[in-house]
Amino acid sequence: MWWYIGRRALQAIPVVLGATLLIYAMVFLQPGDPIKALFGEKPVNETIRASIAAQYNLDDPFLIQWLKYLGNALTGDFGLTYAQQPVSQVIGDAFPVTLKLAVMALIIESVLGVAAGFYAGLRKGKLFDSTMLIVSLLVIAVPIFVFGFLMQLIFGVKLGWAPITVGGDASIKNLMLPAIVLGLVSFAYILRLTRTSVVENLTADHVRTARAKGLSDRSVNSRHVLRNSMIPVVTYLGADLGTLMAGAIVTEGIFNVPGIGNLAFRAINRGEGSTVVSIVTLMVLIYVVMSLVVDLLYAWLDPRIRYA
Amino acid sequence: MPETTPLPGQERFLAPLDETPLQETGALDTSSPPESQWKEAWKELRRNWLFWVSGAMILLVAVVVIAPGLFTNLDPSYADLSKSLDPGSSGHIAGYDKQGYDVFARMIYGARASVLVGVLTTILIVVVGLITGAVAGFYGGWVDSVISRIADIFFAIPLLLGALVGLSVINNLFPDRGEFGGIVAVVIALGVFGWPQITRITRGQVLQVKNMEFIDAARAIGATKRSNLLRHVIPNSLPPVIVTATVSLGILIVAEATLSFLGIGLPPGVVSWGNDINAAQNQIRSGQRIGVMFWPAGALAFTALGFILLGDAVSDALNPKRRTE
Amino acid sequence: MTTPVLQIKDLQVAFRAGKKLIPAVRGASLVVYPGQTVAIVGESGSGKSTTAHAIIDLLPGTGVVTGGEILFEGKNVAGAKKGEILALRGSSIGLVPQDPMTNLNPLWRVGAQIKEALVANGVAKGKDADRRVVELLEEAGLPDAERRARQFPHEYSGGMRQRALIAMGLAARPKLLIADEPTSALDVTVQKQILDHLDSLTDELGVAVLLITHDLGLAAERADHLVVMYKGQVVESGPARQILQDPRHPYTQRLVSSAPSLASQRLSSERARVEVREQAVQTAAEIAEEVATHADEFGVGQATVVEAKNLTKDFTLPGGRPGSSSAFRAVDDVSFTLARGTTTAIVGESGSGKSTVARMVLGLLDATSGTVEFDGVDITTLSGKKQQLALRRQMQPVFQNPYASLDPLYSIYRSIEEPLRTHGIGNDKEREARIRDLLDKVSLPAAVMRRYPNELSGGQRQRVAIARALALEPEVVVLDEAVSALDVLVQAQILKLLNDLQGELGLSYLFITHDLAVVRQIADNVLVMQNGGIVESASVSTVFDSPREEYTRRLLDAIPGGSIPLGA
Repeated sequence: MWWYIGRRALQAIPVVLGATLLIYAMVFLQPGDPIKALFGEKPVNETIRASIAAQYNLDDPFLIQWLKYLGNALTGDFGLTYAQQPVSQVIGDAFPVTLKLAVMALIIESVLGVAAGFYAGLRKGKLFDSTMLIVSLLVIAVPIFVFGFLMQLIFGVKLGWAPITVGGDASIKNLMLPAIVLGLVSFAYILRLTRTSVVENLTADHVRTARAKGLSDRSVNSRHVLRNSMIPVVTYLGADLGTLMAGAIVTEGIFNVPGIGNLAFRAINRGEGSTVVSIVTLMVLIYVVMSLVVDLLYAWLDPRIRYA
Repeated sequence: MPETTPLPGQERFLAPLDETPLQETGALDTSSPPESQWKEAWKELRRNWLFWVSGAMILLVAVVVIAPGLFTNLDPSYADLSKSLDPGSSGHIAGYDKQGYDVFARMIYGARASVLVGVLTTILIVVVGLITGAVAGFYGGWVDSVISRIADIFFAIPLLLGALVGLSVINNLFPDRGEFGGIVAVVIALGVFGWPQITRITRGQVLQVKNMEFIDAARAIGATKRSNLLRHVIPNSLPPVIVTATVSLGILIVAEATLSFLGIGLPPGVVSWGNDINAAQNQIRSGQRIGVMFWPAGALAFTALGFILLGDAVSDALNPKRRTE
Repeated sequence: MTTPVLQIKDLQVAFRAGKKLIPAVRGASLVVYPGQTVAIVGESGSGKSTTAHAIIDLLPGTGVVTGGEILFEGKNVAGAKKGEILALRGSSIGLVPQDPMTNLNPLWRVGAQIKEALVANGVAKGKDADRRVVELLEEAGLPDAERRARQFPHEYSGGMRQRALIAMGLAARPKLLIADEPTSALDVTVQKQILDHLDSLTDELGVAVLLITHDLGLAAERADHLVVMYKGQVVESGPARQILQDPRHPYTQRLVSSAPSLASQRLSSERARVEVREQAVQTAAEIAEEVATHADEFGVGQATVVEAKNLTKDFTLPGGRPGSSSAFRAVDDVSFTLARGTTTAIVGESGSGKSTVARMVLGLLDATSGTVEFDGVDITTLSGKKQQLALRRQMQPVFQNPYASLDPLYSIYRSIEEPLRTHGIGNDKEREARIRDLLDKVSLPAAVMRRYPNELSGGQRQRVAIARALALEPEVVVLDEAVSALDVLVQAQILKLLNDLQGELGLSYLFITHDLAVVRQIADNVLVMQNGGIVESASVSTVFDSPREEYTRRLLDAIPGGSIPLGA
């Protein structure tokens, strides 16, 4: 198994390198004078220009710039923001907030999605199933920010159950509403995935055999249908953490959560390249690590898969 | 096996021949006209109410896109600041927004940009994804490794984040790109990070199809690899790609709105649902005139829902296993 | 007078399709006494499995019992309450299902799945149940049961899984065991072992068995009483031997005369084969002469049309560590010849390498070493596309699965036209005439042309596949399990068709099969393969009448129904 993890890690290296190169090129390989763009209409002082050029290795060929960036990143130096703060520090402050938010969303969506999908699958074609089908389709079709605003309006403004914006205090209680909004779309996907999987498993041969043994519906459903239906759901959940963190751009904006999404959004708007590249790199790393975690979870759930 | 007298109920029994006639084995059922798999799927589709509902929704949207003038004779780019946030009157059922634009007229004219982005992006990702996925799955080896790793690179960057960065770059390079240029920019930004999904689906399907016996039969005839790929493998790999493409269309429309909502999608001058929702967020925050957001958001959800429902119906029609239950 | 353990009276079962009810079982009746084995025989779609599943209320999908009675120990259980049926399942009626590959939950240890049956039926709990599980597996003939109980299904072979399923079905000591095609997915030798074991076990325990099978020979060998079903109805029933020796219903008569396991004992099939061969060899010799005198034809026209020399195929399997790999020898030094106008059969169980040989002969797979010569030309050294295409014209395959061997998107016309088009033969009109002629050869109406594979039955598809293979007028046809997936009667028809075509066209067949029983009807020479190598190679009569090798004898013994003397 360690060989397998090692091999997967090796395979991940070109993906991480490629993704950072791609995003680095998008951000830094632009025509025109980036320093001039930074200063806008103001005249640029030559000493300042030289110091900025040195800091960003702007006088080197592009690939060298990228390699130097990578080299620095490996030592934990991700460059500086325009406000001369280390990027690593800014991200370090924001990351735990978003991680907390995304994990909360992940828990909420998976518990509710699996429960609703399982029940809908068992009662295929009945009222609950149809209702859930419509609910899930609506959730996917309506943009998430519309739900965000509606929930903010109803639970924050009208009912006053939750703070309208989170601001500096990112406690679990305050993050509850944003987490629900963030997890909504994935909830719908998990529901549909679980339902399809349950419906498929209900007609599986081994389920019929379990019934023929004299097992009650209850044990058949919990021991044979549910567990077997979890395999595609787990795969989805693994890839979902990264998606949730990226989706936080919208949710964090609406609820003013001081997380990665907000940071990324501001950095993109300001053209703060070092921050943007670092955040995307972080996201890619999360994706790569989660893919590996999913593979290992898969092997744990399904004994047929053994990574030799 | 000793010969014994049979027990009651187990005596020799022969069914009357006239009640159990022998049927010709291998007779051809000619009761219905010939049907290809596509035709059969189409028949199945027509039987599904989901198809008719979603089809009607998409048709309505299509008419709005092609001929917005049929639905309103107001100018979506005419603003009357004195009517700011006016709840509306006869002829103005949806009222006015903050700038004094007619909300309903903007909803009608906003369809074009949103739908265009969805359709063009879907075409882009299907073309790129189908070709790369089919080549990777069919030829295997190092070709597969290279394509799969490149797809991984683009897949590893979250769609929304990647598109945001991409658009901000395009904004810098071409600040004044007009309405169509704006649409093309969003299509490229979404397409660049959207194709790997289709690649993966196509590749998986091709891997299954290429091992089927009819592929071996074609090889034994002497058909070349390329003709095998084009004539047998790709056509038989299409069903899941079609389903994903249909659903993607709806999801991409939502993604475009999200980008516009973040203020970085279509240029502000373009009449689009995303831009209008973006403009309306202050009204929601302050709780005044929710309707300003309701109309464009509702139209957007309606359109996306249409495509997602159609995807469901197509999936049922193309997947005989799920159908029989 | 004993009372029956099971009595089915006029059972009606239907499947709901929309608002319509499509009948699947129409008025079936049967009786099973304690300790007895009763077999229901029928082909696919006869309603035999549906009848069995109706007894324990496990009809698939939309199936419903629409009439009749199912009396278990005198009590009607058709339409009984859920709780009553649940009380019967496992403890009174056990089930051994058909496909061992799909009937065990892949995610649970085998022991745990058997334990479930014990706990659910209140037989044993906790540590007692664990002990009992090991005993049951041992009883089902599984060696090293204690370790095996802790393993997962994927660590078992097919035969072992079936033993586990038997242990499961008998766990709560039911009075009736429904065995639904319990061995049809297994190799013949394993099949025999398992059936023998099941027989002795149920005898010992006094369990009545309702055996569902498509194989008349197997049913007659294992059951006291036979029930023959056809299109949802019972057409004939009675003592097993009487039915076999004196079938009265025309359907049963056809079954008895077609069942390969029974036909294989008949010398008549061998005599018929000799006639076919004489005709085929003569026609083939004429063709060979033509080939020999025309320089542009592929080959030299010699009597040996295919010769394989020392064929070996290694597959490399990726190992656990990077860079490491292990080689697996699928085919080991196989040599044989195929004479013009004759059939050489390659017989072997799964994993014997027989299909790999077929693929190498066809040139679809490169051999690791060894050569294949077609009419004196080594096919591995063919130069250029033209030579390759010329070879393709002379050798065509027909594959096993009639559902996968035709492109579902192609009409029958296009499927048969493809080889003609690829080789640039004729114009549209000539091609159509040729396709009509080919369809006529395989006894299909011309109307089939416009149809698609999904509209055809398995037998019809296989005829189309044969027509496609014949389109290029080949000299050799490689039949890779070409009749294995077909129902008995259809199988007999296709075998007859293949014989007729061989006689008429002077074809040479390489016939790959796992079923020794069909060999006598079509082949002249037999190669018996095991683990990649050839065990025995001889003429058909030698192999059947005086096999030299132990393995060949085991294969012959495993043909069900071989021991029953036939009347007709």
